[in-house]
Parts: sequence; structure tokens; C-alpha cells
Amino acid sequence: MTDTPRTPSQGTPPQWTPVALSRDLAPATAIPVIAEGTELALWRGRSGRLAAWHDRCPHRGMRLSQGFVRDDMLSCLYHGWRYDLEGQCRKIPAHPELEPNKAICVPAWSVTEATGIIWVSETGSGAPPDTGALAPLRSLTVERSEDALRDHLGDGVVIEFDGLHLLLQGLPQGRCVLHALTGPGLDAAGQRAASHRLEALRTRFEDSEDIA
Amino acid sequence: MKDCWFPVGAADDIPSAPGRETLLMGEPIRLFRKAGQIQACDAEGRDLPVTVAYDHVWTSLGTPSQPIFAIPEAEEPGRRFVPCGHVRVACSPLRAVENFLDIAHFPFVHTDILGAEPHTEVYRYEVKIREEEDEVWATKVRFYQPQAAKAAEGGQEIEYMYRVPLPTASVLYKTCPSKPEAWDVIAIFVQPLTETTCVAWPWMALYDDTSSQADLVGFQQMIFLQDRAILENQVPALLPLDPGKEIPTRADMTSIAYRRWLKSHDYTYGAQLEAQ
Ligand code: FES
Ligand SMILES: [Fe+2]
Repeated sequence: MTDTPRTPSQGTPPQWTPVALSRDLAPATAIPVIAEGTELALWRGRSGRLAAWHDRCPHRGMRLSQGFVRDDMLSCLYHGWRYDLEGQCRKIPAHPELEPNKAICVPAWSVTEATGIIWVSETGSGAPPDTGALAPLRSLTVERSEDALRDHLGDGVVIEFDGLHLLLQGLPQGRCVLHALTGPGLDAAGQRAASHRLEALRTRFEDSEDIA
Repeated sequence: MKDCWFPVGAADDIPSAPGRETLLMGEPIRLFRKAGQIQACDAEGRDLPVTVAYDHVWTSLGTPSQPIFAIPEAEEPGRRFVPCGHVRVACSPLRAVENFLDIAHFPFVHTDILGAEPHTEVYRYEVKIREEEDEVWATKVRFYQPQAAKAAEGGQEIEYMYRVPLPTASVLYKTCPSKPEAWDVIAIFVQPLTETTCVAWPWMALYDDTSSQADLVGFQQMIFLQDRAILENQVPALLPLDPGKEIPTRADMTSIAYRRWLKSHDYTYGAQLEAQ
């Protein structure tokens, strides 16, 4: 048997999903994100390193995205179980003397940050698309499905539209995040104008009867 | 589980007929006052059994085989009864009870009130199912608390006992700050609206002649709102009854016994079983 490379033309989902702009995830914070229908806890340690895990603490199921970061450890909000960047449980505060069992580990996805965008992938194979010199602008959620938007916008990874460069992150229940990038070197006024165009785009998509 | 008693309202808040509607295990029911009596009926107008206990109205969609559980301590003279209103929570009624049985979360969820780092250790305690009463009991539970109760001044080690007499009701006894030889009684009565939504009715029987009723209710409400932030973020929403889905430790002995007891009685409304 040989491995057949997955290509978009076979209708397989993308290997890497853009889930946030780097600037929207400060050091020592955690946020919930969704990639390919899976709820993930995306967090950044104090050192700046990233991790993306199933958003469920193995202990009693609390969402880890609600947890708090100290140094390069994420603590669950419920009972404070502490996990390192690899997802390994390092401390159970109810039993301070106990070395946690190695089997207590949160399933992790691969996460990569490049040119201001954070990407995740379940398999981690290959590299995320290169957005080159494009500058991240902002992310915004549209009440339309990724499929409906792609019917309208086209199928590429980076979609050029109305002077903006868009990355799409599909969400459940007919919603989609647009991560907008611009050409390099825009000044503040140019960024403001681009941001307004993005908002106008959202209104247009949500008002349009063609994109349902 | 249908044959168990469930709390459905505060006894002093039932209007006269036609009364008001609420949900019990997904079924619409109606509570009303008629000829000075509190009554309940289902959507077809069929009468449901009613009992009033601990300032709350209890009913059942089936036929309870026993009267409501006793809280003998509540009969002791000098106690104040404090019904604490209600908190609606988008979670399994069983998860709400399990959270009530849990102490390890105090330093993280009720920070600087019921617990504080670095005092996070849960010491060994005892848990058993009392066969005669058919109740889950945890005893000799000890925990360090910065402000154990409204009337408490400063931190102290508090001793607790927990009991689960019904699948959605639990009573805890804790060292009383103003009367060391007595126990404060705090209960949670949980109304299962659906498998993933419930109303928690906290209730207390205390020795405390200094705090105002409003302060006592406010204190309990604050604690339950902190718990709600957790309960609405547990995944899955249903309580897993089969071991292996979640990883408990020694601190969770009460929760383990509660899950086993639920399973052995087939009390599975709000629970998730292996097949699912
Ligand atoms: S649920 Fe995460 S530490 Fe208990
Ligand atoms: Fe709590």
C-alpha cells in the first residue's frame, strides 16, 4: 500500500485550519476555538509557546479553555489540575504529594504560528499555507456557513475579495469566521478603511438571499 | 427514578388555582393552592402526590414508596430555616448534585471563601452506602476554609458530612462557627427540568442569630452562582455513569459512590451510559 496524498480536489477537509490571529491570543491566556467541528482549548504559555487540546479536562469534563495559565502550565478551573504544554498532567492539588499518573494526558492537536496566524491540524502533516507578506487585520464571525460562503467567494485557501485577503474557518450551525489580511504596509487610516470594508462585507453576506 | 420525590417549588410561592406551570423530567406539571392545600397535577389534569418539607414542595410523576427523607437535626430547637431562593442551571441535575458533594474545587471556584491555595489538600475520608436507609454517606471530611460561613471570622479547618437520600437531593453537615458542638445543615434540592437543565433550591438550617436573612441568602446565592459557571461548562452535559469516561482520584470517593449508587438503582435521568 502506498499513501495517497490528500488533495483538495478529492473533497477532503483542509489539513490546517486557521483559528486565530496571533495578536488576539496574548501570553498566559486560553480561548475556545473550533476546527473541523471539534472544540479545542487554544492557549499560550507565558513563554509564548502554544498548545491546542480537546476542550475537556479528563478529570470531570470541565472545559479547559476556561482554565488559567501560570508560566507554561494550564490549570483547569474546576479543581486546578495542572497540565504542561504537552498535555501531560503534572499536578493534582487535592493530593499535593502525589505524582500524577502518566496516563492522565489531554489529547492534543498540532498547532503552528506563522506570519501572525495560528493554525491547527489534527494530524499535523505538512505545513500550513504560506500567507507571505500579507498582514493580519482582524477576525470576524459571519452568520453564514463556510460552504455557502465558498460557493460565493471561491475555493482557495487565501481568497482575495474586495481588496481583502480572507481565510475561512467554518463553525457549526451555519457560522464561519473570516480572518482578514491586507497587503503589506497599510497605514492606520488604510487599516481602518479595510476594517470597515470587512464589516460591510459581513452585512452584505448576511443580508444576501443568495448566500443561505 | 420516576417514583422518587422531587422538589418543584418554594412552599410560600405557590399561587391559588390555576396556579403556575413548571417542568418535571420533561413533563409540564401545574402547582396550585386550593382550600389551603398545595396540590399538583400533570398536563392531563391527573393529580400528583404532594408533600411539603423543608420549606419546599415535592412531587413525583410516579408513586413514591416512602415518605420524604428525614433531617432530624432540623427539628432541634433554636435553628433558623433559610430557604435560599433558586438558581437555574443549564446542566444535568445529577452533575449539580455531584458538584455539591465535591470539596476539592473550593480553592479554585470559591476562592478565599470556602477554600484558598495553598490549602488544597483533600485528606482521606470515609464513604459508604448505608444499606438500611439506602443513602450515600461521606464522613470525616476535613478542609481548611478562609471563611466557612457568613458568621465565620478568619480561616479554620472545617469538618463535613455529606448524605444523598434521593438522586437529586443532598444534605451536608458542617462544623458550626458559632456553636462548636453542633452542625450547620445545608441542603441542595434539585428539580430536574430536563436531562440537561435544572433548578437548584438551596436550603439551610443554622444556628446563627446575628446574620440577616438577606445576608445568608446572598451568601448562598453567591456560592451557587460560582458553581453554575462550572456546571454549564462540563462536557458532556450528561453525567457519565460508566467508569473510564472520566478519571477520579481518592478525593472523589463520594462522587464515585454516588455514581455507583445511581447506577445500581437505575437512576439514569441526566446520566450517560456506556452504549451512548
Ligand atoms: S475537572 Fe478539571 S480539574 Fe477537575
Ligand atoms: Fe461549589
